[in-house]
Amino acid sequence: MNRIELDFEACTGCGACFDSCFVNVFRWDDGAGKPVIAYVEDCVECNKCELACPVEAIRVIPDYAGVYWPPVI
Amino acid sequence: MDARNTQDLILAADVLVVGGGIAGLTAAISAKEADPAVSVLVVDKATCGFGGKANKGGGNLAFLEPDDDLDEMLRFRVEKVGSYLEDQELLRDFLSGTYGVLKRIETWGCTVFHDPDGAYVYVRYWEGHPWRMALCEQDITESMLRQAKKLGVKFVDHVSVVDILKDGDRAAGAVGFSIIDGRFYTFKTKAVILANGCQNYKLMRRWASGRGDGIAAAYRAGAEMRNAEFGSFINWVFADTKEVCQGAENVLYNAKGENISKAVRPKIEADLDSKEVVAWYKAMLAGDGPVYANMPENEIAAFSQKAFHSDGVAVRPITTAFWTRTIGKAMAASTKPGPMQEVFPGFIGEQSPVRVDHQMATTVPGLYAVGDIAAAGSAWAGAVPAPPGRMRGGGMMGAMWMAMRGGPAAAGYAATAGEPAVDAAQVEALKARMFAPLGRQGGIEPQEMVRAVQDVLSPVGNTIYKSDARLRDSLERILAIKGQLALLTADDPHHLAACNEVVSMVNSAEMFFVASLERKESRGWQIREDYPERDDAEWLKWVVLKDDGGEMKVWTEDVPIDRYPLKP
Ligand SMILES: Cc1cc2nc3c(=O)[nH]c(=O)nc-3n(C[C@H](O)[C@H](O)[C@H](O)COP(=O)(O)OP(=O)(O)OC[C@H]3O[C@@H](n4cnc5c(N)ncnc54)[C@H](O)[C@@H]3O)c2cc1C
Ligand code: SF4
Ligand code: SF4
Repeated sequence: MNRIELDFEACTGCGACFDSCFVNVFRWDDGAGKPVIAYVEDCVECNKCELACPVEAIRVIPDYAGVYWPPVI
Repeated sequence: MDARNTQDLILAADVLVVGGGIAGLTAAISAKEADPAVSVLVVDKATCGFGGKANKGGGNLAFLEPDDDLDEMLRFRVEKVGSYLEDQELLRDFLSGTYGVLKRIETWGCTVFHDPDGAYVYVRYWEGHPWRMALCEQDITESMLRQAKKLGVKFVDHVSVVDILKDGDRAAGAVGFSIIDGRFYTFKTKAVILANGCQNYKLMRRWASGRGDGIAAAYRAGAEMRNAEFGSFINWVFADTKEVCQGAENVLYNAKGENISKAVRPKIEADLDSKEVVAWYKAMLAGDGPVYANMPENEIAAFSQKAFHSDGVAVRPITTAFWTRTIGKAMAASTKPGPMQEVFPGFIGEQSPVRVDHQMATTVPGLYAVGDIAAAGSAWAGAVPAPPGRMRGGGMMGAMWMAMRGGPAAAGYAATAGEPAVDAAQVEALKARMFAPLGRQGGIEPQEMVRAVQDVLSPVGNTIYKSDARLRDSLERILAIKGQLALLTADDPHHLAACNEVVSMVNSAEMFFVASLERKESRGWQIREDYPERDDAEWLKWVVLKDDGGEMKVWTEDVPIDRYPLKP
């Protein structure tokens, strides 16, 4: 499974990562004003959240070896 | 945890657009431009302007300059690609409209690159390649989002639309739920435009979020489907990272060191085809696997690297950063670097069968479909998986062109159609059905069923190199999964959305196998082991599907070839 590292100290709570995820991996913690990595198992390493973060507070670490692939033959 | 918000919400507008990707945004803007008095609401299960594929692609846009040879392009498409299953009138309209699409999106603030002399920067795969590819930036949908907001379009994010509401025969809106808090949404609208993408079966990583929700909703609402048998697109993937290996199709070598691409693709072609997948399959069955892509010979990869993934042709910082980051991470993780890279055909799907006419109207009055959801169903592309329909750069361009027709058509319909009546019992029944998996005890989780569906679709013998026996067996397995859908369980609204996606995947897979069985010939992307020839005498026909009281009704319709300029 992929890992997503979030630097809470650096995060400014701008919401760009939340908006950019097309498979809804993030949720929003209204209290903290910061994103929550809620469904990391759905992450497909598009890297859009990482690219969107203005302060480089988020890092996506893909697990290519762990990808499930059914038989092709 | 049941995080459901029990407060239902009812929203009204003239036109509802389902899906805020490039097709949905283009439809919304062009509906507003056609009639500013029409109210337009766009809803997306992710974030409008950020979901979808257009901001994760190559950003190349197929087009013809006004002086280019339209007839030559048509002939190329029909003879070499779509194999006479195109609606040639629609294809002609589309191709002749591409230049105008580029001009128009620039007025919306979208970046398309120009030469110093003002002409569009473009690339071609080889000299004489019959179409051009202009280049845009990956923020194209964000530019469109801003333009749509300026025009007064309204947006709802993170709501998954599940079903179309009906008033008698006509569409009357839609229903769905928030994937964040589970709130139930009713959209009461005079017209609905489905722009929520095609079926991609959730296997190919990073490819798309389209799971055929719109296709299934249209099917349940009684809309006809066409060309469903061509929904088995693949891309070659590296065996170690499952990242796409662009251009592998031209440089495949078996384990004995023999080139197996040459026999089926003597010349470089514009896009992948199913014939080299069959060559791979035969090599594997003969014990000549694994198969490798010879990377130093891979001209398409080198070309794409220069033209699309770097600033080699146009300076595109957003696009370049995306490709550098995604491909870069995969390359760094590669366990077997070297010139010969093991590859295999990674199943995608791209089934897009919602049937639409030249105004993008489905067969349900008031229900329209634009973009990937209806690319094959519109028949502009013929006997190939569409988008891109073996026409690189045809995905976004096709989506925008279709939406520029469908948006105004739906606005026009809404301006004259009366207020639809929404039946409370119908809403309640749909609501009960969509929420049924939530909290179901001892059921099957959606991911388990997704895998079962993928296990049927991924083997090349089931979906690319087809035979009666394998198709029947696959259909049986899909119907067995269909029989278990009533056991789906979800613990929260996020997983509830996943349940609806599985239902949609099973619906698409059933359509694919039923239509593939019906077409007893090989044509375009469809290759049948048991009917290896193209049969123009019998099969200049479209396979059409429709729900008939719970049964999938299938029939054929003659392609009106007499009316068309090009005949086999
Ligand atoms: C890797 C890749 C590279 C590509 N490169 C190019 C290229 O260079 N040139 C080109 O022309 N084309 C390219 N394409 C194809 C092109 O991007 C698509 O054809 C086009 O973007 C499709 O747009 P769409 O709006 O019809 O569908 P999508 O982009 O799939 O958008 C569908 C939207 O609907 C939403 N949605 C889905 N289900 C629901 C639901 N139930 N309720 C509410 N909302 C929902 C989704 O969240 C999404 O935002 C590429 C595609 C891929 C995957
Ligand atoms: S990498 Fe893509 S899929 Fe993964 S969390 Fe980030 S935006 Fe979502
Ligand atoms: S994009 Fe970066 S700064 Fe903004 S909310 Fe996400 S992690 Fe925080």
